[in-house]
Amino acid sequence: MAKLRHIAISAKDPDAMADFYCKAFGFKIVRSDDGVLARGHHLSDGTIDLAILNFKTDQLGKGMDYYGLHHFGVLVENVEEAQKAVEALGGKHYIDTTVQGPGGFEVKMYGPEGVLFDVAEHAWTGAEPLPEPIKDAAE
Amino acid sequence: MPKLRHIAIAAEDPEAMAEFYKKAFDFKEVGRPNGHLADGVFLSDGTLNMAILKFKTDQLGKGMDFRGIHHFGVLVEDVEEFTAKLDSLGAKHYIDQGQDGHQAGYFEKKFFGPEGVLFDIAEHGWAGAEPLPAPLKDAAE
Repeated sequence: MAKLRHIAISAKDPDAMADFYCKAFGFKIVRSDDGVLARGHHLSDGTIDLAILNFKTDQLGKGMDYYGLHHFGVLVENVEEAQKAVEALGGKHYIDTTVQGPGGFEVKMYGPEGVLFDVAEHAWTGAEPLPEPIKDAAE
Repeated sequence: MPKLRHIAIAAEDPEAMAEFYKKAFDFKEVGRPNGHLADGVFLSDGTLNMAILKFKTDQLGKGMDFRGIHHFGVLVEDVEEFTAKLDSLGAKHYIDQGQDGHQAGYFEKKFFGPEGVLFDIAEHGWAGAEPLPAPLKDAAE
């Protein structure tokens, strides 16, 4: 089964917000980025990547002054298969990542009612990988 | 360490949206909440509870027509301890759940963090969410 492994928040001040969640819950900063899409920090609770980002484009169509929960990310075994499945269900492809390598989204898609989510087959930084298949675990 | 165990989406049609995520990612339906704050569908990936809800009040102050990711939830060992901690960090307490809330797999306390981001804390897990890992000393026994 695919796994929810990423939650992203749109923040005006990602430094202060990241500091709050580190102090409140003991989450750890595992990566800080300043890329073409956003600047901010990735926190981890050991399972989920919580990204606190100041976005540079209006991905949601809610305006550049939208602050709050922004998107989530699903870790899958095969991105191409997942993308096809989502598209067959009416989901719309938005963009692919511009950065090679693990640690971020690979494909961004819109689901019903314009909800934005990422799919990736390489775990986000600080996120737990997919569980081993049962047949592998039994070996 | 506390764990992110809940994500809630504000939907106009929770039924259709839940069907989409069930079919797309094989998430399983684990509940049908119907309360005074919202009704909808609880899904699970085996670790997190994903709540797809039609809200009945404007919790975020973004209007009743807000659609999108609404709040998240953190599973903690002790709600009272974390309430005091959050208060000291400047978070604003919003509401508590009813006494039988945890039995239904709901939140226990809602807070607004920086920039008005809404999150829940609970010490009883959301429906379909994985519990906190056992402390190391328990795991070694």
